[in-house]
Amino acid sequence: MIVTPRIFARLAAIVLVGVLLQLSFFSRVALFDTSPDLLPALVVSLGLLGGAMTGAVAGFSTGLLAAALLAGPLGGASLVLLAVGYLAGLFRERFEIHSELLPPLLCLALTVVAELGFGAVELTLGVDAPISALVVRDVLLKGIYAFFLGWPLYLLLRRLLRPALVEEPRVARRRQPTVMGV
Amino acid sequence: MYRKQVRRRRAVLTLLVLSSFLLLTITYGQSSGGLQDGLSTVFSPLQTVADRALKPARDLVGWFDQTFEARGENDRLRDELEETRTQAVAGQEALQENAQLRKLVGLDRGPVLAASAYEPVTGRVIARSPTVWHSAVTIDVGRGDGARVDDPVIAGEGLVGQVASVQPSSSQVTLITDHASAVSAKVLPSGAQGVVRPEVGNPEDLVLDFIASARKIGVGQTVVTAGWRARDLASLFPAGLPIGEVTRASIVEQEASQQVHLRPYADLANLDLVQVLTGGSR
Repeated sequence: MIVTPRIFARLAAIVLVGVLLQLSFFSRVALFDTSPDLLPALVVSLGLLGGAMTGAVAGFSTGLLAAALLAGPLGGASLVLLAVGYLAGLFRERFEIHSELLPPLLCLALTVVAELGFGAVELTLGVDAPISALVVRDVLLKGIYAFFLGWPLYLLLRRLLRPALVEEPRVARRRQPTVMGV
Repeated sequence: MYRKQVRRRRAVLTLLVLSSFLLLTITYGQSSGGLQDGLSTVFSPLQTVADRALKPARDLVGWFDQTFEARGENDRLRDELEETRTQAVAGQEALQENAQLRKLVGLDRGPVLAASAYEPVTGRVIARSPTVWHSAVTIDVGRGDGARVDDPVIAGEGLVGQVASVQPSSSQVTLITDHASAVSAKVLPSGAQGVVRPEVGNPEDLVLDFIASARKIGVGQTVVTAGWRARDLASLFPAGLPIGEVTRASIVEQEASQQVHLRPYADLANLDLVQVLTGGSR
């Protein structure tokens, strides 16, 4: 990805809108008692489009902004989302994305990794309260929601960041046949 | 050129990881201070706008979810109604008896009246944490409305949590389902006291610990805040705020205390309007 000031502004706006949408909408709706988590899917999509560094920086900023707006401890979400964004970017750098199913599947897998990561960070820092087995269901459902959210999200972000994408195949325009003498 | 790029990439990554660890070490267990204050002040108007604009969409998703649950809920509510009718009759008798006893003892402030020292300020939830590991919401009541750190927060149905940090026009509230939350509480009518803790990942279940196993606790009994006071120290919550209803009580063999499970009265998963009890004497 070629990050010009204009693209940087777009990336910042995407992260900001994503965090606001998560905190004001997705966290406040519950399907089967579980709220979707858009943030890992957002970071994965940015990593897949921009590479490892874009993914890592976007993950760090997304985690920092979300935690700062909610009085949570700073750093935990940043660390987890940084890792997720970096992994997604690394995948893009090592492998070709041939199938359209691949981005949503990666959103599913890496959202599960992110949710387990959030839990691991908290457990490392100490959780005194008992932990319900429903946490597992929450993680799996969040992964499934990420699959369905990741699909349109990846396409939308690809459209928004198209000018910066290096390997984005251009749509071939069919050349009109030239009629001599007209 | 390539090696330089790799070195730069490694440096940025190391910097980000170290920053994350540093932030975690500095801010764990406390508010993130200036950075959070600044960001919340800047973004709270945006959050308020987003909250209002997205309400119809949230309601639509909520409608789908509630339709799935409505069937089971209907049967449960019928059972609860019958039970509540019986309790209401018993409650009327208890109220009469209470009034007579008050006159006799000369008490001028009962546990519920003590809450009147607080001035409730109504606010709206504008944001919510995305993970089950942190149960926190942001509300549009701030320092300018009289909110202070540690102020109790209630919804129509019962206790919701306490204010964790305050900005000029918004506050962050730690819910009673957050793993760091602990509320001293008592079971009515027995008066058995314990500490209400959450069960991480299950907002429908709270655990009341440290109840003496000799105390008999029944399903359906009400749990309220204990609101203790000892010399200069006082509970953060006033006495008598309803927390939840006992759903299960289990005595562990060879243990002096029992664990009581309760369902919170407040619908913590779908909070919209809340009240901050400001101006309490602490």
